[in-house]
Amino acid sequence: MNSYWIRRFAGALAVLLLIITANFFLFRVMPGDAVSTIVDPRFSPEAKEKMRHLFGLDLPLHQQFFIYVRRMLSFDFGISFLSQRPVWDEIKSRIPNTLALLGTSLLLSSAIGTWLGVKAARKRGGFLEKAVIFSGSISFSFPSFFVQLVLLLLLAYTFPVFPLRGTVSIPMPSGTLPRVIDYIHHLILPAGSLVLLGFGSWAIYVRNLMVKTLGEDFILLARARGLSEDRIIWNHAFRSTLPPILTIFLLALPGIVSGAVITETVFSLHGVGKFLLDSILGHDYPSAGAAFYILGLLTIASNLAADAACTLADPRIRVGKRAER
Amino acid sequence: MFRGKVILSALALLVLLQATTAAGFDLNAVNGPKTKDLYMVIYRDPDSQMLALQKGDVLGDITRPVDIERLSNFPGVSLSISRAFHLFFMGFNLRIEPWNDTTLRQAVSMSIPSRQIVRDIFSGYSEPVSTYLPPVSPYYEKSVKTWDHDPAGARKLLEEAGWKWSPEGNLVPPGKTSPLEPVRLLSPTAQVAPTSAEVAGRIAEAMKALGVPVSLEPLDFSMMIKRLDSHDFDLFVMAWSLTRDPDSLFAFFHSSMDVPGGYNIQGLHDEALDRVLERLRWAPDRETADKAARRAQKMLSEITPWIPIYSRYMVTAVREGWKGIIETERTTADNIWTLINMEPGNGGDRPIMWCLQEEPRSLNPFSTSSVYDWQVLGLVYDSLIAIDPEDLEDIPWLARSWEVETSGSGSTAKTRLTFALRSGIRWHDGVLFTSRDVRKSLEFLKSREIPRYFDNVRDIESIETPDERTVIVNMSNTSFWHLHNIGGSPVFPAHIIENVKDWESWQPSREKHPSVEGLTMLIGTGPFVFRKYRPGEYVHFTRFDDFRLPWRD
Repeated sequence: MNSYWIRRFAGALAVLLLIITANFFLFRVMPGDAVSTIVDPRFSPEAKEKMRHLFGLDLPLHQQFFIYVRRMLSFDFGISFLSQRPVWDEIKSRIPNTLALLGTSLLLSSAIGTWLGVKAARKRGGFLEKAVIFSGSISFSFPSFFVQLVLLLLLAYTFPVFPLRGTVSIPMPSGTLPRVIDYIHHLILPAGSLVLLGFGSWAIYVRNLMVKTLGEDFILLARARGLSEDRIIWNHAFRSTLPPILTIFLLALPGIVSGAVITETVFSLHGVGKFLLDSILGHDYPSAGAAFYILGLLTIASNLAADAACTLADPRIRVGKRAER
Repeated sequence: MFRGKVILSALALLVLLQATTAAGFDLNAVNGPKTKDLYMVIYRDPDSQMLALQKGDVLGDITRPVDIERLSNFPGVSLSISRAFHLFFMGFNLRIEPWNDTTLRQAVSMSIPSRQIVRDIFSGYSEPVSTYLPPVSPYYEKSVKTWDHDPAGARKLLEEAGWKWSPEGNLVPPGKTSPLEPVRLLSPTAQVAPTSAEVAGRIAEAMKALGVPVSLEPLDFSMMIKRLDSHDFDLFVMAWSLTRDPDSLFAFFHSSMDVPGGYNIQGLHDEALDRVLERLRWAPDRETADKAARRAQKMLSEITPWIPIYSRYMVTAVREGWKGIIETERTTADNIWTLINMEPGNGGDRPIMWCLQEEPRSLNPFSTSSVYDWQVLGLVYDSLIAIDPEDLEDIPWLARSWEVETSGSGSTAKTRLTFALRSGIRWHDGVLFTSRDVRKSLEFLKSREIPRYFDNVRDIESIETPDERTVIVNMSNTSFWHLHNIGGSPVFPAHIIENVKDWESWQPSREKHPSVEGLTMLIGTGPFVFRKYRPGEYVHFTRFDDFRLPWRD
């Protein structure tokens, strides 16, 4: 391991510590706490104090901080204030749906968008390019809740091809295969809506990168050498655009764990996004702290992975060394 | 055109409400549960819930006016409407000038067109109020001093008290030369509570017209609570969800409740009112409580620490094709009586699909205060007494009768509650329910000082169980409300809770029952047996075949 990677890992560790500290103080800077937001005349001030004691909110701040840091470092995230269940259990129960929904949609939207972007760049001014630019601009300009509600109305209500909500039918089918098919059937509409909303930005981005690359001298040289168009496009032009595409893809990875609040709400999905939002709004420090900590870890790991992937994808990139002329 | 449509809607809703009220029902005719399977299906988005109701799910609560309008025209769906224990009001900070001036508060009250606001914003699904308990309350006092909308009268009232107006039209307090300083009205943000923010805007307009230089300060809920707790405010709007017992008036207006975390947010200190509220809180019997509650409302109308604006109606959408739906003036079809009594209109056995608008959080009856958890737990756990949905009076449930006695007098007076339990009641796992279950439940809640039940059980001095069918609870002081606090608390199976080590993280819905296949530790004596909770999806219950309503004994 060269000094560059040692420096990168040290930097990542410093960022992680910063995230842990910021996580603790940012939530406590917010006005109120999990108890003060209980506004119920059946809950006397004494009962509220009992609850504050139960949550450890009556401890001095530095003591709360040390308990919190110990928990983060040992991955024992404690008990959620809102549900009284272990935070890790809460997150764990939501991750499969979130990964299935956002992982599928990220993979599909990036693959479709990239393929369309390359195709559009290949024939400048053609129908496909115009269609990609138009549909791409439209797809990411529409608010997600609007598109998803229209899809729900059309394909789950007017023409009931897909279910209205959730990930299982009620009552649940018996047998493993019927359940898997049922699960996929439920995910098609929410995942499809995210692909619809997401492929456009990928397509336009890749098309722009490819258009720029196809105007470079080395492409002219490749053409002069008589290489086939497919080889020029995929082996030369596309390969040189891979580092930024990979970087964007890898940096989008933590997003598949953070969830999609609106999609989860519209399709009534049990996912991480809504959990995260509820934790923040309900001052559920253990849950919100743990969720942001995991996201921070994933973001740091994705950054490191993006660096590594770029060096593999493009031999011109040699991190930590001055370019040799 | 729009106004005409709104007025028509309001009239239609009122007629519907009256029709519902007049219909009535015979509680003794209720029988059940009749339907074998009940699913509480989680719909987080109101739009998808609407689609589900239109498509075939049975019941769901509706909160948005636009949805009421939409569903009222939809074939196959009918709306069930009732008054609610809800009160929206504007409060003053009585600790500071000029809000410590009663005349100014009364004049402000007269300047606000509550009736018009409710008509414009809620299309008739709320009612304007001028009292400190909502009209649905059994303790509601109608004959109080009201400050009806009368801008000219408000100006006259202020003139008589020596208030003047500056050339700019702002009010000048008596004996002063400079007009009122600009003030802020705290309200929730339009994103979080659009109707509350709109009502606050209309109130501010009316106050400006009177000469109070007020502007809105929309705040995040947590920030608003912080400002109210630190007394850093002039005016605020807020809504309370109340219960049938009027002792919340003590929490809102007694001077001892003007403490951090207390609910006397406005800082009212009135010795005469305090005495009446103490009579209400520690009333030995229903009659004393009733008198004190009515007296307190009359006094509050004079003092005007709040301006009550409106009380919301509850609206539930019900699919047609089912019979046995129970609705009264005080409850929509969304109640346990409906679940027990309803069945498909054409015979057969279809599962009930009931929309749940949020995820249950823990299904831990000790720690949860989520209303959605209690929609589930309320079908499993029973209490000693229940509430008649028609008149909100106490009716037998696990107890067939009870007595409230007072021993001693003056400061040594104590309430003694004696419950005679019904016989032949069984827990879902077949174990017989006895007085031991009641005693163990109350002792569990008291010894562990569980916050949710802390106020209910803290005054218990001792519990006696002379036999399997009798429970005597001796309280350390006198209060009629002890009956509701003790009699309304859920009763847990002693053979289950005596093995609970850590009540905070207890997950009864996830622990298998030690001896009965298909059951969890979430068992009660209620009409439905909990079967499965699939997070994010549904909660499944089946009918408890051994369940028997008290009048079927």
